[in-house]
Amino acid sequence: MTFRRKILAGLLPALAALALWAPSSGAQQPKEVKVGLLVPLSGIYARPGAVMRMGAEMGVEHINAQGGIKSLGGAKLKLVVLDSGDSTEKAKAAAQRMVAQETDLVVATGSYLSSFTLAVTEVTERAKLPVLTLSYSDQITERGFKYIFQTSATSGSQAEQSLPELMKLAVAAGGARPKTVAIITDNTAASISSVKPMKERLLKELGLELAVDETFTPPLSDATPLVQRVRAAKPDLLFFLPTVISDAKLMLEKMNEFGLGQGKVPTISFGIAIAEPDMLKTMTPELLQGVMAVVGNWGGKGHEKLIAELKQKYNEPWMTQNAISTYGDMWIMKSALEKAGKADREAVAEALRKMDDGPAKNYPGGEMKFDDKGRRVGAGLTIIQWQKGVPVVVYPSNLAVSQAIWPKK
Amino acid sequence: MPALRSLLPVLAFAAVYAAIALVVTNNYYQLMLTLVLVWAIFGLSWNVLSGYTGLVSFGHAAFFGIGAYTTALGQIYFDVSPWFLIPVAAAFGAIAGLLIGFPTFRLRSHYFALAMLAYPLALYYVFEWLGYQEITLPMKRENAASYMQFADHRVYTLVALAMLVVVMLATRMIEGSRFGMALLAIKQNEAAAEAAGIDALAWKLRAITVSGAIGSAVGGFYAVVLLVVTPVSVFGMLVSAQALTVTMFGGVGTVWGPVIGSAVLIPLAETLQAHLGARFPGIHGVIYGLAIVVVILVAPEGVFWKARDHLRRRRPLPAADAGPAPAPLPALSPLSVGAAANDPAPAARAEAGRVLLEVRGLTKSFGGLRAVQDVSFQVREGEILGIIGPNGAGKTTAFNLLNGFLKPDAGEVLLDGTSMVGRKPHALSAAGVGRTFQIMRPFPRMSVADNVVVGAYVHALTDAEARRSAAEAIRRVGLAAVAQRLAGGLTTKELRLMELARALAGKPRILLLDETLAGLGQAEAAEVIQVIRSLAGQGATIVIIEHTMHAMVRLVDRFVVLDHGAVLAEGAPEAITRDPRVIEAYLGRKWSAHAAD
Repeated sequence: MTFRRKILAGLLPALAALALWAPSSGAQQPKEVKVGLLVPLSGIYARPGAVMRMGAEMGVEHINAQGGIKSLGGAKLKLVVLDSGDSTEKAKAAAQRMVAQETDLVVATGSYLSSFTLAVTEVTERAKLPVLTLSYSDQITERGFKYIFQTSATSGSQAEQSLPELMKLAVAAGGARPKTVAIITDNTAASISSVKPMKERLLKELGLELAVDETFTPPLSDATPLVQRVRAAKPDLLFFLPTVISDAKLMLEKMNEFGLGQGKVPTISFGIAIAEPDMLKTMTPELLQGVMAVVGNWGGKGHEKLIAELKQKYNEPWMTQNAISTYGDMWIMKSALEKAGKADREAVAEALRKMDDGPAKNYPGGEMKFDDKGRRVGAGLTIIQWQKGVPVVVYPSNLAVSQAIWPKK
Repeated sequence: MPALRSLLPVLAFAAVYAAIALVVTNNYYQLMLTLVLVWAIFGLSWNVLSGYTGLVSFGHAAFFGIGAYTTALGQIYFDVSPWFLIPVAAAFGAIAGLLIGFPTFRLRSHYFALAMLAYPLALYYVFEWLGYQEITLPMKRENAASYMQFADHRVYTLVALAMLVVVMLATRMIEGSRFGMALLAIKQNEAAAEAAGIDALAWKLRAITVSGAIGSAVGGFYAVVLLVVTPVSVFGMLVSAQALTVTMFGGVGTVWGPVIGSAVLIPLAETLQAHLGARFPGIHGVIYGLAIVVVILVAPEGVFWKARDHLRRRRPLPAADAGPAPAPLPALSPLSVGAAANDPAPAARAEAGRVLLEVRGLTKSFGGLRAVQDVSFQVREGEILGIIGPNGAGKTTAFNLLNGFLKPDAGEVLLDGTSMVGRKPHALSAAGVGRTFQIMRPFPRMSVADNVVVGAYVHALTDAEARRSAAEAIRRVGLAAVAQRLAGGLTTKELRLMELARALAGKPRILLLDETLAGLGQAEAAEVIQVIRSLAGQGATIVIIEHTMHAMVRLVDRFVVLDHGAVLAEGAPEAITRDPRVIEAYLGRKWSAHAAD
């Protein structure tokens, strides 16, 4: 391995010739099976990438400790980590490198940002390498690709699910059923795709009135006009979708100043950005108290041991979607390998397509099964809320570790 | 055929690159080979505008992104193939270039650079607002090649290589034609270029149009290669920076610069990322940055120029310079020049000529300072008129009023009866007013011949005609032996003569010379004087401004003496040198009294 690495550090033309000589996988059962992790480890997305790596390493460790892949004579999983960098170009190059040089890789997971996953899977699809992803974008599984498996509910599906689920949550927490809604969003890809179906259809279907509708371009210089509009309209729910931490901070500070914070106007975000540990570096727990987020996955009830291990090993205070989903991906890979009975891309892909492992573990809602598009059947979502400086799962009830803070009737 | 010979390196490079691409079967390396070409082409796009004109653009991503989105959206919404969309993208890029250039060229240097920054930023938000945060080119499972989707990745490299060769040849053609000469002249000194008859705005607009077309075409191809287009990946700051980085690293203002830069930096960055990225996240950025810093420190103009200078120094006598020893001028002693000054012919000639240039009541003030007041004189055809005066007499201001760099507050400048007031320098040059500069503006990396050709384009319709005029002008000033040498290696005297040739090459009707003798030793001045005299002997009309009277006495037919912005005296050299007012103005009252004795 190190020998090969050394060669790779050489120059391009020299490598080109060498690349013709590729290690061929022998006919006998391998002692280890290589699985890939292609995530951003450098640049501005390095932090979520690092957390995904933690989840993957824990997953591989647990699987190997329990005897590896039994149908392959106890072959151990070996994680191959690749850096997708901070641009689609780098992500695509890394994917190309993965399929060209890690020829004995049988399955991979990645690549955090939807646009990276889109670029990466353009390569892996053509190389027929199955890839799992936690990215939300509907497009990922709308291109008719056969080798992509999306474990999270898509953005469209999350938007679809989140409103009814929030209605249920409100009632369960002892509040009234919301009637009016405010939406304040920035204009980034993820945010826009989350609010679009709401505004176009879902609010109407649920009989909700859109009282405030504001879109801003990050970074925000002053949140006062936005908060004033919220105060004037007094909505029952506020959807707030920032991407930049400073925007979230400005907005929450103003909300508190105007007496709308601490969950007095239930404030809901989408995605894990607002629940990252980094938030506490710039904001106090009081400021964040009550802020909710709809996320694809989160470590909650039943994951206590994992969370404790993550904390002890990597000093991560809680288990975000990046850690738990990537951990879960390792187990999906294991299951597929067991069924495939051989370390082969096509066999693993086929096993993933035919997988039917019952109720989901490590993911909210649904089953361990993928539909024709490669979407996990019945993929649900998780609602988390900042409570005393920790984002805790408050919905669904089988994962919830705490009751939601919600204004009482 | 010389044109073919200059294309040979490009074709040889392409052949070698194609051969490498064909033997590489690893798709990862093949992608690198493709991306090297993509960024080389984009670097060349930047180079056409910024490398040749010197106007640094920080916003080339605007063109790149327009091309990428044209190609992606065209295929998504209209199912049109990139084979057709990339040329369309090039057309859009050209239009965008015009639209961007027209307002932005009002700004110069760093103001221009900063203004360019705004365009991709604005487009970034426009495309976000339009809802195109993430788009992918639909995968074609059938007929893929007709949509530029190739299973064999070598084809991408070959397509990119074909694009690169076209762009390199186009750049080469621009470099060698009046287009490139005009841009280089603008880069060195826009004022001098205008004086040489170059319409700077028009050429700059052409440059940004070509640059935009190339940038958009390669942006379109990039979309095809990556298959995913996001605003940040095509309009982002780093995209614009990439064009600058590869070109500055490889060499600005040469067709090889972007190619060298891209061929080194793209694989280097990727190799570092691939091998260090996962183990020491971020360290590759540090190493990459340091590598660029070191190279820029060692070779500030880029690898290409450094290497070329190094090679030239290693073999100092290339074939072109090894010709017969340069002996352009007969050795003249000051005595023989003095003898020539006694020749009565010039004065007689001047008397006979008709009035070519007439200045009437020329006045110019800067705030409270009246630099030139009510100056009038005439220049006859075939005459050498000297304008002299002590420091601060208003000579340079008067000169700039004549050649269009300043607009007079009052008065008229008539060339052959036509008013020239308010015309731009390049228009004046086209009308037949040639000039040289007090501070020489050679284009040091160009040969003497190329330097002179810049001035020849004013009247030449074809490149060949311009070359002929330039060669003729070079012969007339006696620089034929050093015509192929780089201007950077000339002596001050030779530079003065080259400037003279550049002005002559435009076949001016009247030649304005600004302190042509400044900085020359006596013997050298004598040689230059001899050349100017021989020009006059061939019928040229010359106005020469000079601070010192000494050398001029032997040269001119007539003097106009300025002092405090006004005409103090006018007349033949002998009369002027004895005029007490002139002596007083130059030397003070004491000396004028002395002279009167």
